[in-house]
Amino acid sequence: MTVLVVSNIDLTNNLQVMKPATFLDSTIKEATLNINNEYRYLKTGYYVSMHAEILGNYVIPSCENIIDSSRTPILLLRAAKAGISTLPFVVTDSVKKITVEFGFPVILFAVNPFIYDGYKVANNKSALYRAMKSLGMNYKFAVCAQPIKGELFAVKTFLGKTTTDIDCQLQEIAEKVYKIFKIPLCKLHIQKTSDKAYLCGLQPLSKEELSEEDLQIISKEVSLISEQGEHFGV
Amino acid sequence: MSKIACFVEKYNFTDPREEGALQNFKLAAENQGQEFHFLFREDISDVAKYDSVFIRATTDPLNTAYVVSKTAWELGLKVIDDPESITICGNKIHQYALFEKYNVPYIPTFFLNKDELHHKKISDIFDTLGKPVVIKAPYTSFSRYVEKAACETSFRDVAKRFFKKSDVLAIQKFTPTSFDWRVGVLNNDVLYVCKYMIPKGKWKHGAKLRGKPTVIWGRTVSMKKQEIPARLREVALKACSVVGKGLYGVDIKEVDGDYVVVEVNDNPSIYAGYEDSMDHDIYQRIISYLSE
Repeated sequence: MTVLVVSNIDLTNNLQVMKPATFLDSTIKEATLNINNEYRYLKTGYYVSMHAEILGNYVIPSCENIIDSSRTPILLLRAAKAGISTLPFVVTDSVKKITVEFGFPVILFAVNPFIYDGYKVANNKSALYRAMKSLGMNYKFAVCAQPIKGELFAVKTFLGKTTTDIDCQLQEIAEKVYKIFKIPLCKLHIQKTSDKAYLCGLQPLSKEELSEEDLQIISKEVSLISEQGEHFGV
Repeated sequence: MSKIACFVEKYNFTDPREEGALQNFKLAAENQGQEFHFLFREDISDVAKYDSVFIRATTDPLNTAYVVSKTAWELGLKVIDDPESITICGNKIHQYALFEKYNVPYIPTFFLNKDELHHKKISDIFDTLGKPVVIKAPYTSFSRYVEKAACETSFRDVAKRFFKKSDVLAIQKFTPTSFDWRVGVLNNDVLYVCKYMIPKGKWKHGAKLRGKPTVIWGRTVSMKKQEIPARLREVALKACSVVGKGLYGVDIKEVDGDYVVVEVNDNPSIYAGYEDSMDHDIYQRIISYLSE
Protein backbone atom coordinates (compact mmCIF):
# COMPACT_ATOMS: atom_id res chain seq x y z
CA MET A 1 0.00 0.00 0.00
CA THR A 2 1.26 3.47 -0.81
CA VAL A 3 0.95 6.28 1.67
CA LEU A 4 0.94 9.89 0.56
CA VAL A 5 2.95 12.06 2.93
CA VAL A 6 1.87 15.70 3.08
CA SER A 7 4.17 17.84 5.17
CA ASN A 8 4.87 21.48 5.93
CA ILE A 9 8.17 20.44 7.49
CA ASP A 10 11.35 19.64 5.58
CA LEU A 11 12.09 16.02 6.37
CA THR A 12 15.43 14.28 5.89
CA ASN A 13 16.25 10.95 4.17
CA ASN A 14 14.90 11.59 0.68
CA LEU A 15 11.26 11.08 1.51
CA GLN A 16 8.68 11.80 -1.15
CA VAL A 17 6.74 14.60 0.43
CA MET A 18 3.99 16.85 -0.92
CA LYS A 19 3.44 20.42 0.25
CA PRO A 20 0.05 21.14 1.86
CA ALA A 21 -0.89 23.75 -0.79
CA THR A 22 -0.23 21.26 -3.61
CA PHE A 23 -2.31 18.60 -1.91
CA LEU A 24 -5.22 21.00 -1.30
CA ASP A 25 -5.37 21.64 -5.05
CA SER A 26 -5.21 17.95 -5.92
CA THR A 27 -7.66 15.05 -5.97
CA ILE A 28 -5.21 12.28 -5.07
CA LYS A 29 -6.95 9.27 -3.62
CA GLU A 30 -4.45 7.60 -1.36
CA ALA A 31 -4.04 6.93 2.34
CA THR A 32 -2.70 10.22 3.65
CA LEU A 33 -0.25 11.00 6.41
CA ASN A 34 -0.54 14.65 7.32
CA ILE A 35 2.62 15.93 9.00
CA ASN A 36 2.39 19.45 10.37
CA ASN A 37 3.84 21.14 13.42
CA GLU A 38 0.35 22.37 14.28
CA TYR A 39 -3.10 20.99 13.54
CA ARG A 40 -5.05 24.00 14.69
CA TYR A 41 -8.68 24.16 13.65
CA LEU A 42 -9.11 26.30 10.48
CA LYS A 43 -5.36 26.30 9.83
CA THR A 44 -3.68 24.49 6.94
CA GLY A 45 -2.89 21.38 9.01
CA TYR A 46 -6.61 20.97 9.65
CA TYR A 47 -7.64 21.62 6.04
CA VAL A 48 -5.25 18.95 4.76
CA SER A 49 -7.01 16.32 6.87
CA MET A 50 -10.41 17.70 5.90
CA HIS A 51 -9.55 17.59 2.19
CA ALA A 52 -8.30 14.01 2.53
CA GLU A 53 -11.51 12.97 4.30
CA ILE A 54 -13.69 14.57 1.63
CA LEU A 55 -11.72 12.64 -1.00
CA GLY A 56 -12.52 9.50 0.96
CA ASN A 57 -8.89 8.90 1.96
CA TYR A 58 -7.95 7.29 5.22
CA VAL A 59 -6.02 10.07 6.91
CA ILE A 60 -3.85 10.52 9.97
CA PRO A 61 -4.95 12.55 11.88
CA SER A 62 -8.73 12.71 11.39
CA CYS A 63 -10.62 16.00 11.73
CA GLU A 64 -12.53 14.59 14.68
CA ASN A 65 -9.33 13.75 16.51
CA ILE A 66 -7.79 17.13 15.70
CA ILE A 67 -10.74 18.94 17.26
CA ASP A 68 -11.16 16.59 20.22
CA SER A 69 -7.49 16.47 21.20
CA SER A 70 -7.27 20.27 21.34
CA ARG A 71 -10.34 20.57 23.59
CA THR A 72 -8.83 19.60 26.94
CA PRO A 73 -12.06 18.28 28.54
CA ILE A 74 -12.72 15.99 25.56
CA LEU A 75 -9.07 14.91 25.41
CA LEU A 76 -9.24 13.88 29.06
CA LEU A 77 -12.64 12.23 28.76
CA ARG A 78 -11.67 10.09 25.77
CA ALA A 79 -8.20 9.33 27.18
CA ALA A 80 -9.67 8.17 30.51
CA LYS A 81 -12.20 6.02 28.68
CA ALA A 82 -9.31 4.30 26.90
CA GLY A 83 -7.47 3.59 30.15
CA ILE A 84 -4.98 6.48 30.34
CA SER A 85 -4.53 7.93 33.83
CA THR A 86 -6.01 11.40 34.17
CA LEU A 87 -6.96 13.58 37.11
CA PRO A 88 -10.48 14.89 37.72
CA PHE A 89 -11.31 18.14 35.90
CA VAL A 90 -14.03 20.78 35.79
CA VAL A 91 -15.07 23.09 32.98
CA THR A 92 -16.27 26.32 34.53
CA ASP A 93 -15.96 30.09 34.73
CA SER A 94 -16.41 30.06 38.50
CA VAL A 95 -13.41 30.58 40.79
CA LYS A 96 -15.44 29.23 43.70
CA LYS A 97 -16.20 25.96 41.95
CA ILE A 98 -12.50 25.32 41.34
CA THR A 99 -11.43 26.14 44.91
CA VAL A 100 -14.22 23.99 46.39
CA GLU A 101 -13.44 21.03 44.11
CA PHE A 102 -9.65 21.08 44.12
CA GLY A 103 -8.10 23.72 46.40
CA PHE A 104 -4.55 24.65 45.32
CA PRO A 105 -2.44 24.34 43.30
CA VAL A 106 -4.45 23.94 40.09
CA ILE A 107 -3.56 23.93 36.39
CA LEU A 108 -5.86 25.72 33.92
CA PHE A 109 -6.27 25.28 30.17
CA ALA A 110 -8.31 27.63 27.98
CA VAL A 111 -11.53 26.42 26.32
CA ASN A 112 -12.20 29.17 23.78
CA PRO A 113 -11.70 29.87 20.07
CA PHE A 114 -8.67 32.10 20.50
CA ILE A 115 -6.11 30.58 22.88
CA TYR A 116 -4.52 27.36 21.68
CA ASP A 117 -1.24 27.28 23.50
CA GLY A 118 0.04 27.45 27.06
CA TYR A 119 -1.63 27.06 30.41
CA LYS A 120 -1.63 28.73 33.82
CA VAL A 121 -0.84 27.35 37.24
CA ALA A 122 -2.48 29.00 40.26
CA ASN A 123 -1.19 28.55 43.79
CA ASN A 124 -3.62 30.88 45.53
CA LYS A 125 -6.90 32.67 45.06
CA SER A 126 -5.58 35.90 43.57
CA ALA A 127 -3.46 33.99 41.05
CA LEU A 128 -6.55 31.94 40.19
CA TYR A 129 -8.60 35.10 39.56
CA ARG A 130 -5.87 36.46 37.30
CA ALA A 131 -5.56 33.16 35.43
CA MET A 132 -9.32 32.88 34.92
CA LYS A 133 -9.45 36.45 33.70
CA SER A 134 -6.74 35.92 31.12
CA LEU A 135 -7.62 32.38 29.93
CA GLY A 136 -11.34 33.13 30.07
CA MET A 137 -10.77 36.39 28.16
CA ASN A 138 -12.28 38.54 30.86
CA TYR A 139 -14.56 35.76 32.16
CA LYS A 140 -16.29 35.48 28.79
CA PHE A 141 -15.29 31.83 28.37
CA ALA A 142 -14.98 28.79 30.60
CA VAL A 143 -11.65 27.16 31.45
CA CYS A 144 -10.71 23.57 32.19
CA ALA A 145 -9.17 23.11 35.65
CA GLN A 146 -7.32 20.12 37.12
CA PRO A 147 -5.59 19.72 40.48
CA ILE A 148 -1.79 19.56 40.54
CA LYS A 149 -0.54 16.48 42.34
CA GLY A 150 2.99 16.18 41.02
CA GLU A 151 5.64 17.64 38.76
CA LEU A 152 4.67 18.97 35.32
CA PHE A 153 6.41 17.84 32.15
CA ALA A 154 6.04 18.98 28.54
CA VAL A 155 6.78 16.02 26.26
CA LYS A 156 7.29 16.42 22.52
CA THR A 157 5.73 13.45 20.74
CA PHE A 158 6.38 12.31 17.19
CA LEU A 159 4.04 9.60 15.88
CA GLY A 160 3.88 8.20 19.40
CA LYS A 161 7.65 8.32 19.91
CA THR A 162 9.53 10.68 22.18
CA THR A 163 13.15 11.68 22.41
CA THR A 164 15.21 8.88 23.88
CA ASP A 165 16.20 10.41 27.20
CA ILE A 166 12.67 10.38 28.53
CA ASP A 167 11.17 8.60 31.52
CA CYS A 168 9.36 5.37 30.55
CA GLN A 169 6.07 6.34 32.21
CA LEU A 170 5.93 9.48 30.09
CA GLN A 171 6.88 7.49 27.00
CA GLU A 172 4.06 5.05 27.75
CA ILE A 173 1.47 7.83 27.95
CA ALA A 174 2.75 9.32 24.69
CA GLU A 175 2.30 5.95 22.96
CA LYS A 176 -1.19 5.47 24.33
CA VAL A 177 -2.29 8.99 23.43
CA TYR A 178 -1.04 8.43 19.89
CA LYS A 179 -2.98 5.17 19.65
CA ILE A 180 -6.22 6.99 20.45
CA PHE A 181 -5.86 10.38 18.78
CA LYS A 182 -3.08 9.78 16.23
CA ILE A 183 -1.83 13.36 16.30
CA PRO A 184 1.57 12.93 14.59
CA LEU A 185 3.34 15.94 16.09
CA CYS A 186 2.32 17.50 19.37
CA LYS A 187 3.34 18.47 22.84
CA LEU A 188 1.83 16.59 25.78
CA HIS A 189 1.49 18.07 29.23
CA ILE A 190 1.89 15.33 31.81
CA GLN A 191 1.99 15.35 35.61
CA LYS A 192 4.14 12.85 37.42
CA THR A 193 3.84 11.88 41.08
CA SER A 194 6.22 9.49 42.83
CA ASP A 195 4.42 6.46 41.42
CA LYS A 196 2.14 7.55 38.58
CA ALA A 197 1.89 9.78 35.51
CA TYR A 198 -1.29 11.63 34.46
CA LEU A 199 -2.16 13.18 31.10
CA CYS A 200 -3.16 16.88 31.47
CA GLY A 201 -3.22 18.41 28.00
CA LEU A 202 -2.14 18.29 24.34
CA GLN A 203 -0.98 21.33 22.38
CA PRO A 204 0.64 22.15 19.04
CA LEU A 205 4.38 22.59 18.54
CA SER A 206 5.95 25.61 16.95
CA LYS A 207 8.51 24.98 14.20
CA GLU A 208 11.17 26.52 16.44
CA GLU A 209 10.58 23.81 19.02
CA LEU A 210 11.70 21.10 16.59
CA SER A 211 15.39 20.27 17.00
CA GLU A 212 17.66 18.42 14.53
CA GLU A 213 17.22 15.26 16.60
CA ASP A 214 13.43 15.67 16.56
CA LEU A 215 13.43 16.01 12.76
CA GLN A 216 15.43 12.80 12.50
CA ILE A 217 12.97 10.90 14.68
CA ILE A 218 10.06 12.27 12.64
CA SER A 219 11.75 11.40 9.33
CA LYS A 220 12.55 7.88 10.49
CA GLU A 221 9.00 7.24 11.68
CA VAL A 222 7.48 8.73 8.55
CA SER A 223 9.64 6.58 6.29
CA LEU A 224 8.69 3.45 8.25
CA ILE A 225 5.04 4.30 7.82
CA SER A 226 5.23 5.21 4.16
CA GLU A 227 7.15 2.01 3.39
CA GLN A 228 5.20 -0.39 5.54
CA GLY A 229 1.77 1.19 5.82
CA GLU A 230 2.10 0.81 9.58
CA HIS A 231 -0.41 2.89 11.65
CA PHE A 232 -2.87 2.57 8.78
CA GLY A 233 -3.95 -0.84 9.97
CA VAL A 234 -2.28 -2.58 7.04
CA MET B 1 -39.92 9.65 31.57
CA SER B 2 -36.76 11.09 30.12
CA LYS B 3 -34.62 13.94 31.42
CA ILE B 4 -33.68 16.60 28.89
CA ALA B 5 -30.94 19.15 29.50
CA CYS B 6 -31.14 22.33 27.43
CA PHE B 7 -27.67 23.89 27.25
CA VAL B 8 -27.97 27.67 27.20
CA GLU B 9 -25.86 30.72 27.90
CA LYS B 10 -27.11 33.92 29.49
CA TYR B 11 -27.44 35.66 26.11
CA ASN B 12 -30.10 33.16 25.05
CA PHE B 13 -32.47 34.94 27.45
CA THR B 14 -31.79 38.54 26.40
CA ASP B 15 -34.30 38.56 23.54
CA PRO B 16 -37.84 37.95 24.83
CA ARG B 17 -38.79 36.17 21.60
CA GLU B 18 -36.00 33.66 22.08
CA GLU B 19 -36.77 33.30 25.76
CA GLY B 20 -40.41 32.70 24.77
CA ALA B 21 -39.31 29.87 22.49
CA LEU B 22 -37.18 28.33 25.26
CA GLN B 23 -40.17 28.40 27.62
CA ASN B 24 -42.26 26.79 24.88
CA PHE B 25 -39.77 23.93 24.71
CA LYS B 26 -39.98 23.48 28.47
CA LEU B 27 -43.76 23.51 28.36
CA ALA B 28 -43.88 21.04 25.47
CA ALA B 29 -41.58 18.68 27.37
CA GLU B 30 -43.63 18.88 30.55
CA ASN B 31 -46.85 18.33 28.63
CA GLN B 32 -45.30 15.15 27.28
CA GLY B 33 -44.35 14.10 30.80
CA GLN B 34 -40.61 14.73 30.33
CA GLU B 35 -38.27 16.63 32.61
CA PHE B 36 -36.66 19.68 31.01
CA HIS B 37 -33.90 21.65 32.71
CA PHE B 38 -31.83 24.58 31.55
CA LEU B 39 -28.19 23.69 31.88
CA PHE B 40 -25.82 26.63 32.26
CA ARG B 41 -22.08 26.67 31.84
CA GLU B 42 -21.33 26.26 35.56
CA ASP B 43 -23.29 22.98 35.68
CA ILE B 44 -21.99 21.19 32.62
CA SER B 45 -20.38 18.48 34.75
CA ASP B 46 -23.99 17.37 35.38
CA VAL B 47 -24.51 16.32 31.75
CA ALA B 48 -24.19 12.65 32.73
CA LYS B 49 -27.37 12.90 34.83
CA TYR B 50 -29.54 13.44 31.76
CA ASP B 51 -30.87 11.26 28.94
CA SER B 52 -30.53 13.84 26.21
CA VAL B 53 -29.07 17.26 25.55
CA PHE B 54 -30.55 20.05 23.44
CA ILE B 55 -28.02 22.79 22.71
CA ARG B 56 -29.34 26.32 22.21
CA ALA B 57 -26.12 28.22 22.98
CA THR B 58 -24.15 29.16 19.86
CA THR B 59 -22.17 26.20 18.57
CA ASP B 60 -18.65 26.10 17.19
CA PRO B 61 -16.01 23.37 17.36
CA LEU B 62 -13.94 25.71 19.49
CA ASN B 63 -16.41 26.79 22.14
CA THR B 64 -18.03 25.28 25.22
CA ALA B 65 -21.08 24.07 23.28
CA TYR B 66 -18.89 21.58 21.40
CA VAL B 67 -17.47 20.32 24.69
CA VAL B 68 -21.03 19.76 25.95
CA SER B 69 -22.09 18.09 22.70
CA LYS B 70 -19.13 15.74 22.47
CA THR B 71 -19.26 14.88 26.17
CA ALA B 72 -22.94 13.94 25.83
CA TRP B 73 -22.15 11.95 22.69
CA GLU B 74 -19.30 10.05 24.38
CA LEU B 75 -21.64 9.24 27.28
CA GLY B 76 -24.17 7.81 24.83
CA LEU B 77 -26.84 10.51 25.23
CA LYS B 78 -29.01 11.74 22.41
CA VAL B 79 -27.84 15.21 21.44
CA ILE B 80 -28.93 18.10 19.20
CA ASP B 81 -26.59 19.49 17.83
CA ASP B 82 -24.39 16.40 17.60
CA PRO B 83 -20.62 16.93 17.36
CA GLU B 84 -20.39 15.96 13.70
CA SER B 85 -23.10 18.42 12.68
CA ILE B 86 -21.31 21.15 14.62
CA THR B 87 -18.07 20.29 12.82
CA ILE B 88 -19.64 20.35 9.34
CA CYS B 89 -21.87 23.39 9.87
CA GLY B 90 -19.24 25.29 11.84
CA ASN B 91 -16.96 25.22 8.83
CA LYS B 92 -18.59 26.20 5.56
CA ILE B 93 -15.54 25.02 3.58
CA HIS B 94 -16.16 21.51 4.88
CA GLN B 95 -19.84 21.85 4.05
CA TYR B 96 -19.39 23.10 0.46
CA ALA B 97 -16.83 20.38 -0.19
CA LEU B 98 -19.48 17.85 0.83
CA PHE B 99 -22.11 19.56 -1.36
CA GLU B 100 -19.71 19.30 -4.29
CA LYS B 101 -19.00 15.65 -3.58
CA TYR B 102 -22.67 14.66 -3.26
CA ASN B 103 -24.09 16.90 -6.02
CA VAL B 104 -26.15 19.19 -3.82
CA PRO B 105 -27.08 22.28 -5.89
CA TYR B 106 -25.35 25.16 -4.13
CA ILE B 107 -24.36 28.70 -4.87
CA PRO B 108 -21.30 28.88 -7.20
CA THR B 109 -18.28 28.84 -4.89
CA PHE B 110 -14.49 28.95 -5.10
CA PHE B 111 -12.13 28.08 -2.29
CA LEU B 112 -9.28 30.51 -1.80
CA ASN B 113 -6.15 29.40 0.07
CA LYS B 114 -4.10 31.89 2.02
CA ASP B 115 -1.14 31.72 -0.38
CA GLU B 116 -3.35 32.31 -3.45
CA LEU B 117 -4.16 35.93 -2.66
CA HIS B 118 -2.55 37.38 -5.78
CA HIS B 119 -3.65 39.42 -8.79
CA LYS B 120 -4.07 36.55 -11.24
CA LYS B 121 -6.23 34.46 -8.93
CA ILE B 122 -8.41 37.42 -8.02
CA SER B 123 -8.90 38.36 -11.68
CA ASP B 124 -9.78 34.76 -12.52
CA ILE B 125 -12.39 34.78 -9.78
CA PHE B 126 -13.92 38.06 -10.99
CA ASP B 127 -13.90 36.75 -14.58
CA THR B 128 -15.76 33.61 -13.58
CA LEU B 129 -18.16 34.87 -10.93
CA GLY B 130 -18.59 38.47 -12.09
CA LYS B 131 -18.53 41.54 -9.86
CA PRO B 132 -19.12 41.92 -7.01
CA VAL B 133 -18.38 38.61 -5.28
CA VAL B 134 -19.24 37.52 -1.77
CA ILE B 135 -16.36 36.61 0.53
CA LYS B 136 -17.36 34.28 3.32
CA ALA B 137 -15.31 33.19 6.31
CA PRO B 138 -15.97 29.51 7.07
CA TYR B 139 -17.08 30.26 10.64
CA THR B 140 -19.87 32.66 9.60
CA SER B 141 -23.11 32.81 11.59
CA PHE B 142 -25.94 35.32 11.92
CA SER B 143 -24.85 36.98 8.63
CA ARG B 144 -21.51 37.95 10.17
CA TYR B 145 -18.17 37.51 8.36
CA VAL B 146 -19.86 37.64 4.96
CA GLU B 147 -18.86 40.65 2.89
CA LYS B 148 -19.08 41.89 -0.69
CA ALA B 149 -16.12 42.97 -2.79
CA ALA B 150 -16.34 44.63 -6.19
CA CYS B 151 -12.69 45.43 -6.83
CA GLU B 152 -9.30 43.91 -6.12
CA THR B 153 -8.49 46.40 -3.37
CA SER B 154 -11.58 45.66 -1.31
CA PHE B 155 -11.24 41.95 -2.10
CA ARG B 156 -7.74 41.92 -0.63
CA ASP B 157 -8.85 43.99 2.33
CA VAL B 158 -11.69 41.64 3.30
CA ALA B 159 -9.75 38.47 2.54
CA LYS B 160 -6.79 39.55 4.66
CA ARG B 161 -9.08 40.13 7.63
CA PHE B 162 -10.78 36.75 7.28
CA PHE B 163 -7.46 34.95 6.70
CA LYS B 164 -6.40 35.85 10.24
CA LYS B 165 -8.57 33.06 11.59
CA SER B 166 -8.91 30.64 8.69
CA ASP B 167 -6.38 29.57 6.04
CA VAL B 168 -9.15 28.91 3.49
CA LEU B 169 -12.09 31.15 2.51
CA ALA B 170 -15.17 30.68 0.34
CA ILE B 171 -15.72 33.10 -2.55
CA GLN B 172 -19.25 33.07 -3.93
CA LYS B 173 -21.27 34.49 -6.77
CA PHE B 174 -23.23 37.55 -5.63
CA THR B 175 -26.85 36.51 -5.92
CA PRO B 176 -29.20 39.24 -4.68
CA THR B 177 -32.78 38.13 -3.98
CA SER B 178 -35.60 39.76 -2.03
CA PHE B 179 -35.64 36.87 0.44
CA ASP B 180 -33.90 33.63 1.41
CA TRP B 181 -35.97 30.53 2.02
CA ARG B 182 -35.34 29.13 5.47
CA VAL B 183 -36.38 25.49 5.77
CA GLY B 184 -36.25 23.94 9.24
CA VAL B 185 -35.40 20.25 9.06
CA LEU B 186 -35.39 17.62 11.79
CA ASN B 187 -34.29 14.05 11.21
CA ASN B 188 -34.73 14.23 7.42
CA ASP B 189 -38.17 15.80 7.59
CA VAL B 190 -39.38 19.36 7.12
CA LEU B 191 -40.20 21.05 10.44
CA TYR B 192 -41.09 24.58 9.31
CA VAL B 193 -40.75 26.85 6.31
CA CYS B 194 -40.32 30.59 6.21
CA LYS B 195 -38.93 33.40 4.16
CA TYR B 196 -36.21 35.50 5.70
CA MET B 197 -36.78 38.83 3.97
CA ILE B 198 -33.74 40.89 3.04
CA PRO B 199 -34.00 44.44 4.41
CA LYS B 200 -34.65 47.00 1.68
CA GLY B 201 -31.51 48.17 -0.09
CA LYS B 202 -29.42 45.44 1.60
CA TRP B 203 -28.29 42.04 0.41
CA LYS B 204 -28.29 39.84 3.50
CA HIS B 205 -30.83 38.98 6.19
CA GLY B 206 -28.90 40.68 8.97
CA ALA B 207 -27.39 43.93 7.68
CA LYS B 208 -25.69 46.92 9.21
CA LEU B 209 -26.90 50.43 8.65
CA ARG B 210 -24.22 52.61 7.15
CA GLY B 211 -21.89 53.83 9.85
CA LYS B 212 -23.82 52.21 12.70
CA PRO B 213 -22.94 49.13 14.71
CA THR B 214 -26.52 47.89 15.14
CA VAL B 215 -27.71 45.09 12.92
CA ILE B 216 -31.15 45.29 11.36
CA TRP B 217 -32.94 42.09 10.49
CA GLY B 218 -35.39 41.50 7.70
CA ARG B 219 -38.87 40.25 8.49
CA THR B 220 -39.61 36.57 8.92
CA VAL B 221 -42.63 35.45 6.91
CA SER B 222 -43.63 31.93 7.73
CA MET B 223 -45.84 29.59 5.76
CA LYS B 224 -47.43 26.22 6.39
CA LYS B 225 -44.97 23.44 5.76
CA GLN B 226 -47.53 21.58 3.63
CA GLU B 227 -47.33 24.42 1.15
CA ILE B 228 -43.62 24.08 0.52
CA PRO B 229 -42.79 23.73 -3.20
CA ALA B 230 -41.81 20.10 -3.88
CA ARG B 231 -38.46 20.98 -5.45
CA LEU B 232 -37.55 23.26 -2.53
CA ARG B 233 -38.32 20.44 -0.11
CA GLU B 234 -36.21 18.02 -2.12
CA VAL B 235 -33.21 20.37 -2.25
CA ALA B 236 -33.44 21.20 1.47
CA LEU B 237 -33.58 17.55 2.52
CA LYS B 238 -30.79 16.57 0.18
CA ALA B 239 -28.53 19.31 1.61
CA CYS B 240 -29.21 18.16 5.19
CA SER B 241 -28.66 14.52 4.33
CA VAL B 242 -24.96 15.18 3.71
CA VAL B 243 -24.63 16.82 7.13
CA GLY B 244 -26.53 14.48 9.44
CA LYS B 245 -29.83 13.62 11.02
CA GLY B 246 -30.22 16.46 13.50
CA LEU B 247 -31.96 19.83 13.54
CA TYR B 248 -30.98 22.28 10.81
CA GLY B 249 -32.01 25.54 9.21
CA VAL B 250 -31.28 25.49 5.49
CA ASP B 251 -30.89 28.79 3.63
CA ILE B 252 -31.89 28.51 0.00
CA LYS B 253 -32.13 31.07 -2.79
CA GLU B 254 -34.64 30.87 -5.59
CA VAL B 255 -32.84 31.74 -8.80
CA ASP B 256 -34.50 31.55 -12.24
CA GLY B 257 -37.16 29.18 -10.98
CA ASP B 258 -34.73 26.74 -9.38
CA TYR B 259 -33.25 26.45 -5.92
CA VAL B 260 -29.64 26.73 -4.79
CA VAL B 261 -28.43 26.11 -1.27
CA VAL B 262 -26.65 28.99 0.45
CA GLU B 263 -25.84 27.01 3.57
CA VAL B 264 -27.06 24.51 6.14
CA ASN B 265 -26.94 25.80 9.70
CA ASP B 266 -26.97 23.70 12.82
CA ASN B 267 -28.43 25.37 15.92
CA PRO B 268 -31.04 27.29 13.85
CA SER B 269 -32.79 30.29 15.42
CA ILE B 270 -36.22 29.52 16.84
CA TYR B 271 -38.05 32.61 18.07
CA ALA B 272 -41.58 32.57 19.47
CA GLY B 273 -43.95 34.12 16.94
CA TYR B 274 -41.49 33.75 14.05
CA GLU B 275 -40.35 30.34 12.84
CA ASP B 276 -43.19 28.71 14.79
CA SER B 277 -46.05 30.96 13.71
CA MET B 278 -47.56 28.56 11.15
CA ASP B 279 -46.34 25.25 12.49
CA HIS B 280 -46.94 25.32 16.23
CA ASP B 281 -45.88 21.71 16.64
CA ILE B 282 -42.17 22.35 16.18
CA TYR B 283 -41.58 22.33 19.95
CA GLN B 284 -43.37 19.02 20.47
CA ARG B 285 -41.59 17.40 17.53
CA ILE B 286 -38.14 18.39 18.74
CA ILE B 287 -38.92 17.23 22.28
CA SER B 288 -40.33 13.91 20.99
CA TYR B 289 -37.19 13.40 18.93
CA LEU B 290 -35.00 14.05 21.99
CA SER B 291 -36.95 11.71 24.24
CA GLU B 292 -37.46 8.87 21.78
